[in-house]
Amino acid sequence: MANSNLPRRIIKETQRLLSEPAPGISASPSEDNMRYFNVMILGPTQSPYEGGVFKLELFLPEEYPMAAPKVRFLTKIYHPNIDKLGRICLDILKDKWSPALQIRTVLLSIQALLSAPNPDDPLSENIAKHWKTNETEAVETAKEWTRLYASGA
Amino acid sequence: MFGCIAVPRNFRLLEELERGEKGIGDGTVSYGMDDGDDIYMRSWTGTIIGPHNSVHEGRIYQLKLFCDKDYPEKPPSVRFHSRINLTCVNHETGVVEAKKFGMLANWQREYTMEDILTQLKKEMAAPYNRKLVQLPEGILFVEWD
Repeated sequence: MANSNLPRRIIKETQRLLSEPAPGISASPSEDNMRYFNVMILGPTQSPYEGGVFKLELFLPEEYPMAAPKVRFLTKIYHPNIDKLGRICLDILKDKWSPALQIRTVLLSIQALLSAPNPDDPLSENIAKHWKTNETEAVETAKEWTRLYASGA
Repeated sequence: MFGCIAVPRNFRLLEELERGEKGIGDGTVSYGMDDGDDIYMRSWTGTIIGPHNSVHEGRIYQLKLFCDKDYPEKPPSVRFHSRINLTCVNHETGVVEAKKFGMLANWQREYTMEDILTQLKKEMAAPYNRKLVQLPEGILFVEWD
């Protein structure tokens, strides 16, 4: 019912996400709301999140694509740019959003953020501090959290 | 078109959280999340400062709001933590009773926790409530859970 006016662009993007998923990323719309996606991102190899399966949720607001999708992690993750509620600090989700970007590019950027944490633009102050003062130990904690919370159960 | 796009529960609660953090209007109603680690954002504490021209004037009332998985399709459960004598509030538990509080009885998904608190503040100033005898400030309802 709420989906009858779904813009063509969203339909196209959804079809492509389902037919040609990006490696390590899956996104499928929820049955009762085609603007609400269940997302899984695999922790990139060579990152502290390797081996982890991270659940996220994504919502396309009414203004999309003039406004960015809303995305957050549902799986707990130790990362300087992600807070306790799974909110993500990423420029393209805020002021750097452009309608030329897509759901796919957003998810690829999040995957890239897992490979390259940026403690200089933190969302979680404590984690960023940990990262800057003792990166080896912070990475160990991130690996530990990946084992504990993202083992794909 | 307007209003036909339903913001899913979690994103709706994140919006409410951010609005609550910025501060609302004149500050006489406010709310925040109880457990910053709860990814599902279920438990909230609301605060109402009693309105002028009522026995509640200047008093600070704390409430507990619980947003279950079916929020905002269904209203949150709401109960006063601070003891209060109001027609819509259960005298023993502090629970705001839907059958005596229209906003909960006729709930619509557009309503927010802010709307509930604002409406309860209006209730306090309503003719049938504003002169009700109150216990001294600072007494709490007994918590059963």
